[in-house]
Amino acid sequence: MTAATGRKTKRIRFDEIGGFLANTIEDGDLLAIGGLFKQGRPLALIREVIRQRLTALKIISSPGSGFDVDLLIAAGCVAETFLPAVTLETHMCPSFRRAVEAGTITAHCVDALSVVGGFLAAANGVPFQPVAAWKGSDVIKYNPLIREITCPFTGEKLFATKAIRPKLALLHAQEADEFGNIRHLSTMTYADQMIARSADTVLVSVDRIVPSGDIISRPRETSIPCIYVDAVVEIPFGAHPTGSFPNYSIDEAHIDSYATYAEAARKGSPTGDANLQAYIERHVIAPQDQEGYLTTVGGDTRMEELVAEAQAL
Amino acid sequence: MMTTRSADHAPDYSPAEMQAVFLSRDLTDGELGAAGASAAIPMAAMLLARLRHAPNLSIAGEMFVNPYPKQLWSSMLDDRALGACEAAETFLELFAHSHRGLDFFFHNGMQIDQYGNINLHHIGGTIDAPVMRGPGAANISYAVTSRRFYICTTVHTKRTFVPKVDFITSPGYLQGPESYHAAGLQYGPKYCVTPLAVMDFDPETFRMRLKSVHEGISVDHVIAQTDFELLVPEHVEITDPPAPNELQLLRDVVDPKGLLRS
Repeated sequence: MTAATGRKTKRIRFDEIGGFLANTIEDGDLLAIGGLFKQGRPLALIREVIRQRLTALKIISSPGSGFDVDLLIAAGCVAETFLPAVTLETHMCPSFRRAVEAGTITAHCVDALSVVGGFLAAANGVPFQPVAAWKGSDVIKYNPLIREITCPFTGEKLFATKAIRPKLALLHAQEADEFGNIRHLSTMTYADQMIARSADTVLVSVDRIVPSGDIISRPRETSIPCIYVDAVVEIPFGAHPTGSFPNYSIDEAHIDSYATYAEAARKGSPTGDANLQAYIERHVIAPQDQEGYLTTVGGDTRMEELVAEAQAL
Repeated sequence: MMTTRSADHAPDYSPAEMQAVFLSRDLTDGELGAAGASAAIPMAAMLLARLRHAPNLSIAGEMFVNPYPKQLWSSMLDDRALGACEAAETFLELFAHSHRGLDFFFHNGMQIDQYGNINLHHIGGTIDAPVMRGPGAANISYAVTSRRFYICTTVHTKRTFVPKVDFITSPGYLQGPESYHAAGLQYGPKYCVTPLAVMDFDPETFRMRLKSVHEGISVDHVIAQTDFELLVPEHVEITDPPAPNELQLLRDVVDPKGLLRS
């Protein structure tokens, strides 16, 4: 048997992403981002969020984030973050630092257990997740997602971290069918499965769409079933400049060049802001599609290098 | 007494290699441990220990069990380092890992104080209005639930080694024995390993104490680079330099691209 005739596709075209975002998220809403640090981040979708001129967003993610959050902040899309670690690892995140230090965004003090616990509670349909592993840290004193509770069985003092239900989750994976069955080929999938179960609406970009029969032939490899996915869009190199293993590696040079612009802007260099905004114009606003974007970051030549780097691992 | 590393007697290994080798020796066969983000030195220490003297050491963070990276990377949490491993888990396993704890974990910090508390959140101002906002930290629970942790930092300056951190991201010994016990803490930092020296903690006062200085580094230099009163015993050893077989394994197998020498 194959999929029933008349089954609705969840596949959308690249030029339909803007309309999808307009219908599913508004200024001020909570947006969740999949992947971790420099892997599996849905950067093509993030660029569309910026192109839609969304503002005052609240951002949440798996416990590690960096480039995409910094770019969203530089583009003026963010009011609040609920992010445990924000770093480019080889650098700090310049726009994040600048905005928090200037008081233009609020960076809530949260950790991995509060964020992941919140996703887990929402995914399981319960109001909170208990946490017993916090002691001695100032993060507990300032974390807005948690409350102290008493264990109803032992009387032990512990914490509850409240369910987190993002308005929209943006994820990136390597493959999916048109019905929204997602298959990660990467070894690490981080919190993607949980985020998909916790959000009101889920949009996933994938490097390629595969036939439904291919998914059905290897169901244990479906990492996120279609029932948790609202739309899927094929975007080759859609995670660039982050990596989408085993297909292509991380474009560290591109992330470094962004960091140089953002750091100069943070330090108040006379041309800093103009150069950072020119970066956004060149790589985010001007390109009309993914092909147009890829030509701004080195085109086929650079993509082939990133493919080769991933294959050599 | 020399005040800095002297060029004509420069050791044939880098400070980061010294740190990795020292840490690897302290890891025991059969233990379970992990490291977080930006953790090339800790990952090198674990991989070297596994190769040299601890074949049953398990490296298991929240999402992976026993990785086999072909080289060190500045980031050790993506598929470049973790693509080949014995089990790929997800953040669903975070709670089990965090509550069960590990035998050892590694932390670094923008500020580290005399009681081994670590700050990755802000310097100056308040958490809501910081003068300088840091990256924050992902998993703060390992400082509480792991049997011991190591502080491993690539800088040892007065700016980093402060009397009292502006914000406690991960607790060490808080403000000493009283506050440590009052908070219900049971474990804490064992060693603080820097490019200059190895420190441990005085068992009575829980204050940081110089244990050894690396080859070519003077005690005075370490004191001068530390903005609190470091406890200094009468005899400070020289950190036992990497043995030829340690360096060979480190360079040939663990770090063939020389990340720890760059």
